[in-house]
Amino acid sequence: MSTATSSSNILTGKKFPFCPGCGHGIAINNLAKVLEELGYRPEDISIVSDIGCSGLIDPLFNTHTIHGLHGRSPALGLGVAMGLQQKDRKKTIAFIGDGGATIGLQHILEDARRNVDMTLIVLNNLLYGMTGGQISGLSTQKFKEIVDFETDIPPFNIIQLAHASGARYAARVDNPRQMKEVLKKAIETEGFSIVEIESLCPSYGMKRMNELMEVVEPEEEYENPRAATQIRMSEKPSLLDRQPVLEQKFEPLVRTRRDFIIAGSAGGGVQSTGKQLATAGILAGMHATMKGEYPITVGTGFSVAEVIFDPEPIYYTGLEQPSVAVIVTDDGLEKIRKRIGAGTRVYLDEKLAQEAETLPTDDIIIKPFTRTVNRKAAALLATAYMLDREKVIPLEALREVLANHRLAKVFLETLDRLEKLD
Amino acid sequence: METPKNTLIDGSKIIIESLAQSGADAFVAYPITPSNWMYKYGKQRMPLFLAAPDEISTLQWMAGLSATGVMPVTSSAFPGIALMVESINMAYAMELPMVIVITQRLGPSTGSATTGAQGDLSLLNGIISGGYPVPVFSPSDFTDAWELSNKAMETALKYRTPVFLLTSKEMVMYQRSFDLNRLRPLKKFTYDRHIEGEFKPYKPGRNLTPPFVPLGDDEHLTRFTASTHDADANIRKNDPEALENSKRLARKLTENLDDYFIYTLDKSSEPARDLVVTWGITADAAREAVAHLRNQGHPVDLLVVKTLLPVHPKLYEIMDGYDNVYFAEENLTGQFKEILFGHRAPEHIRSINKIGNMIKPSEIEEAVTHQKSLVL
Repeated sequence: MSTATSSSNILTGKKFPFCPGCGHGIAINNLAKVLEELGYRPEDISIVSDIGCSGLIDPLFNTHTIHGLHGRSPALGLGVAMGLQQKDRKKTIAFIGDGGATIGLQHILEDARRNVDMTLIVLNNLLYGMTGGQISGLSTQKFKEIVDFETDIPPFNIIQLAHASGARYAARVDNPRQMKEVLKKAIETEGFSIVEIESLCPSYGMKRMNELMEVVEPEEEYENPRAATQIRMSEKPSLLDRQPVLEQKFEPLVRTRRDFIIAGSAGGGVQSTGKQLATAGILAGMHATMKGEYPITVGTGFSVAEVIFDPEPIYYTGLEQPSVAVIVTDDGLEKIRKRIGAGTRVYLDEKLAQEAETLPTDDIIIKPFTRTVNRKAAALLATAYMLDREKVIPLEALREVLANHRLAKVFLETLDRLEKLD
Repeated sequence: METPKNTLIDGSKIIIESLAQSGADAFVAYPITPSNWMYKYGKQRMPLFLAAPDEISTLQWMAGLSATGVMPVTSSAFPGIALMVESINMAYAMELPMVIVITQRLGPSTGSATTGAQGDLSLLNGIISGGYPVPVFSPSDFTDAWELSNKAMETALKYRTPVFLLTSKEMVMYQRSFDLNRLRPLKKFTYDRHIEGEFKPYKPGRNLTPPFVPLGDDEHLTRFTASTHDADANIRKNDPEALENSKRLARKLTENLDDYFIYTLDKSSEPARDLVVTWGITADAAREAVAHLRNQGHPVDLLVVKTLLPVHPKLYEIMDGYDNVYFAEENLTGQFKEILFGHRAPEHIRSINKIGNMIKPSEIEEAVTHQKSLVL
């Protein structure tokens, strides 16, 4: 078969670009007949193709077409299908060869898992036709034995894989007489459908139908009774609508830049304390920055917050040697130890008291922050204590921030423990 | 005077909100540090949010969505961008609008995911095979983040092209006080569907750009292709019409560059012989350094480039007016300087380069004061 069906309005009527005897044309003509019988107009169909012999098809279709990269038509097609879900009765049909299916295996499984309405047709001629007949991941076992190529490695069964991943409909067809019926079922499926068509390659593969039938995998057909996934866009509110506006309610107690490092461990409230301190600074008329630092494994190890206050706008946000460091755990101390200088004032938890003599500053205030509250609240208590002592902004500014938090009761109870430290 | 609307906010939130207000329909992404907050806000804000299983799928889904008229954006860092490169080329050749936010982090390879950097500009300069330019914007502060996200969206849709917004970990994961009054109302952009005369998928219209007809359109059948093609989207190897079409992909961006070239030149009150040139996150340190030098009686001008690519000739015109030019960039060799001057820059073109930490204001001051380059 090397020409298009002349009466088709789905096809352009251009001469097929395939080698004489190639099986791809049979699949295309059958698909066109199915689409016409089901009443689809050319405007309703988007054909997605990629690279290889199967990728030569887009000029043949008198429909919308998009022609992309090798192995990616299942992913590109899913994007198209999700976009077209915003419109009624639009069908996405992607084509891929067996080489492309090997590259894009994960895309096919993802299509099956997501089960968005589209059809993927795998034109499996058992080999790479454009580059000289090399085998693919879908080359059948018997074919590989004929060409003596990786006979000890089995092929992927793309139909069973797609079925196991959730495809609404998955089928392999070898006999051209069954092809139209299988394609019709696939197109009528609401959800992801995949049809693998094993076919002739007169240049490098099986040249006659009876020979092909000797090497193909058996026909299979599976269904998963699940509804197609619906993709719908919905307007959502502005992120700025939920952004708190912080009106100045307090006066700053200093007129110069100040910086702080709060150092503790994951789960110790360091990041939230840093944000609360920065927010308190803004309530007191300061410009403020807050930088959090923690390992990629966010649930363990150190947690550090850097906060800068300045009555003038802050440009450069780097903080090398802090003027004040609040340290409540071993992890925190080790993370910032090298940044502590002779001019740094350190607020140190009593359980780290033995470390005081190892620090390059004599300006160290040791208090039982953790023992007074607990591990989770120590950073907040220590920061509040520091703020009360440093007199940069009023402690009341921090109290105001905490009072407006959903955990206000817990936070304010922590603040009430300040008197225990004196 | 307007009452300030101060808040504590991060750059990720500003960028996502601006992209949404500017016309983004979908956020598609695979999560990666330091894009974490972009992903979180993308889910909260965009009309469609899709959690892709990898970065190749991300770009392919975006291309598919864009081809149907659903405007997509994503955010990633170098390891993810590296996986996207072939698909970005595909979208570029197909002329599919999209915005890609890069949150730069310390490389090479996995490097240090939570350390900032400015190391991906050279990649973007050559990302399209064959020497084709791609628009790259880089915000230097939160106001830029708002404005340039809007400009990126406009440029992507107007010229049917992928556009990059080049940020840094420090921009997207820092929180700072900010007056929301500085965020002006934004114009919303959409696909240009204005067709004059006969429709052909790649027949250029306004601005050398073909009008956009989405897949599924009921009036016109359209075609998209990533292979070399003529105006009808027929695949052609190297016939003159197809090659002319390929050249048009570059021409539409270079010949219209005035439309989206953005920079600020902060001039000293006294005539200056020295110019600091910078972009992105290092602009903060440069602003402080220049202000300090001026206070010490040393007039210095500051050029913050916000449209980094394609390179605009205006940059050379500006730099020609100075005896000494200092490029401050948080990468090993001075990537923007190398793009402008190659690997053998004139002697008066100097570098302040650093990896692993932000460049300090004092380091810029040291270079300018002693007329030397610094590699830290």
